[in-house]
Amino acid sequence: MEVLLGITGKDFTLIACSKAAMRGATILKASDDKTRSLNKHTLMAFSGEAGDTIQFAEYIQANAQLYSMRNGTDLSPSALAHFIRGELASSLRSRKPYNVNLLLGGFDPITGKPSLYWMDYLAALTAAPYAAHGYAQYYCLSILDKHHNPNIDFEQGMKVLRMCTDELKRRLPIDFKGMLVKVIDKDGIREVEYNDDARIACP
Amino acid sequence: MDTLVARYSQPMFEKDYTEDQLDMYQPAPSLSLRFAMPPVAQPSAWLRAATDDHANPNCPIKIAHGTTTLAFRFQGGIIVATDSRATAGNWIASQTVKKVIEINNCLLGTMAGGAADCQYWLAYLGMQCRLHELRHKRRISVAAASKILANLVYSYKGMGLSMGTMCAGVTKEEGPALYYIDSDGTRLAGNLFCVGSGQTFAYGVLDAEYSYDLSEEAALELGRRSILAATHRDAYSGGFINLYHVKEDGWVKHGFNDTNPIFWKTKLESGEFSNVTSELV
Amino acid sequence: MSRRYDSRTTIFSPEGRLYQVEYALEAISLAGTALGILAKDGIVLAAERKVTSKLLEQDTSAEKLYILNDNMICAVAGMTADANILINYARQAAQKYLLTYNEDIPCEQLVRRLCDLKQGYTQHGGLRPFGVSFIYAGYDPQRQFQLYQSNPSGNYGGWKATSVGANNASAQSLLKQDYKEDCDLKEACGMAVKVLSKTMDSTKLSSEKIEFATVGKTKDGRIYHHLWGADEITTLLKEHGLAKEDTNADDKIVS
Repeated sequence: MEVLLGITGKDFTLIACSKAAMRGATILKASDDKTRSLNKHTLMAFSGEAGDTIQFAEYIQANAQLYSMRNGTDLSPSALAHFIRGELASSLRSRKPYNVNLLLGGFDPITGKPSLYWMDYLAALTAAPYAAHGYAQYYCLSILDKHHNPNIDFEQGMKVLRMCTDELKRRLPIDFKGMLVKVIDKDGIREVEYNDDARIACP
Repeated sequence: MDTLVARYSQPMFEKDYTEDQLDMYQPAPSLSLRFAMPPVAQPSAWLRAATDDHANPNCPIKIAHGTTTLAFRFQGGIIVATDSRATAGNWIASQTVKKVIEINNCLLGTMAGGAADCQYWLAYLGMQCRLHELRHKRRISVAAASKILANLVYSYKGMGLSMGTMCAGVTKEEGPALYYIDSDGTRLAGNLFCVGSGQTFAYGVLDAEYSYDLSEEAALELGRRSILAATHRDAYSGGFINLYHVKEDGWVKHGFNDTNPIFWKTKLESGEFSNVTSELV
Repeated sequence: MSRRYDSRTTIFSPEGRLYQVEYALEAISLAGTALGILAKDGIVLAAERKVTSKLLEQDTSAEKLYILNDNMICAVAGMTADANILINYARQAAQKYLLTYNEDIPCEQLVRRLCDLKQGYTQHGGLRPFGVSFIYAGYDPQRQFQLYQSNPSGNYGGWKATSVGANNASAQSLLKQDYKEDCDLKEACGMAVKVLSKTMDSTKLSSEKIEFATVGKTKDGRIYHHLWGADEITTLLKEHGLAKEDTNADDKIVS
């Protein structure tokens, strides 16, 4: 029941994830951050098996930062995506694979283009203009199919995101405690204030 | 003869070091101690078959578990409270278990899940924390201590460890800090956690009256009352209420009190637990 | 006398020198000149071929210029056999990077990988350093066109124009004189042959005596690298009046 959403626009990428950390029938934390920043312009969001998610994310984060230190430059979002895919794919063939689904949002400062990569726990990688993981896929992709286009600006992007999260609140049987929203653009990664107090009535 | 010669004529650089010799060279010992694993493909499945009293009441090993533990942050520090019952199947193995583990005079750990797992690994964590203190000449942060434990249990993931613990402590750098760690490898920082079979009952009472600005007295009472609620409704929780308050200059113990008198005091003085009758009808 | 300090690469002499490394540099200064010039829209590498013979198959025996990767080429001065080991290593490193990251290895990283290997041979016992200097020409999106040079010690640096091999001191000073900050690739090619013609022993050049390569951008923004054929080199030499007159065969191709 974890929600991961990613939307690209003209000059930015939005990453949103649910704030609930659930274990069994209990919500342990309602302000969980399911993202790690890999470098100045790349953010990774993750869901999946408890423990695996953070261990894998921090392993990737450490490697990305090591690369930046060694080489004085950051890996591009595309290079990172393929690197992560490789790591997940080789883990998949080990005795104890990481069970993690990922969204990788980035902004390439050299080409000036935003990017979004979707990856599942079987290490299938694809670039997409918008993407989601888990049950959010069933609700949000149709909304995004209808309302998204690659040239939207930030305000329009937030508007589409709001449509998605409203629908999730309306139809998902479990309260996911609102969304944590981050945007990646030419200035780097920052959190976007996101109001999820509003009650959405189900018609 | 050849093997004898070979054993004693090894060049220095190929020498097999003993464990504690290695310890001296390594800056820190590896987090994961090497245990012998059962020679089966899936240790956890094998362990479950031998210990799951739920599925098989005749299982050869009955692990002691069933617990309610809670901890929460408030303006005056952190309250940590637990019950004291250990059960093995339907059998109450003990009513006087210490489920709060004093890692050092500023750090507490709680145990839920496998009693042996928790006791062993929290003692190990205590050792690591002391070593950290000796090496770095300052006390370990709660964040670091909890991460040692999280990485440790993660390295045994899938092998049948069963723990749900909280690390509570106060340091200069962090202030009061509370972390939840379980044997899945999850590690979460937070204000309030309840762990164990009675967690839901404790959450019910605690969530309703919790606020960060609670006074010290009210906070202690809320911790006590929440454990009481759990011991009342959860068959696997009971015994004594173990109550701690972690403050800036270390933790303070607020008793290890029998639930029974507390229950009757609460019922008779506050008029709660009205489903329990005190007269014969 | 000096046997004590130069028989092993890993031993410093009392003056703090590594003789084996210096001997390797000495070996390189006997090799054919190679030079590279960085222009605003590309890079040219040019090199003098030492082994020339009528019997030599021209296009199957590259002596001085090699392709490392889609984005990088290099010129070699020194022992070609040693160079082959390093070039093979570089090609594998570049492919491995491509496999992991799905993009070309940044130029400096590839240079550094090679230099790390070279450095190892100046420190670990019982081994001879690689007797090769390289000039690398490449492109990556981060730093655009780049020119590097490395030597047997494992040192490397980025240059606007540089040379290695025989007469490299005079070549270097000629480059210093003639180099213009914003020259284009065509001008750089002209400068390359001119410098080469002055530093080489023979007065007149010909396509079998030199190797030539360029890295540049096509009109649609793709990066290309190109090792020149004999006819292209001849045309360039003619253009600058440096070609031998009696090359009838070449005439036919040009006309």
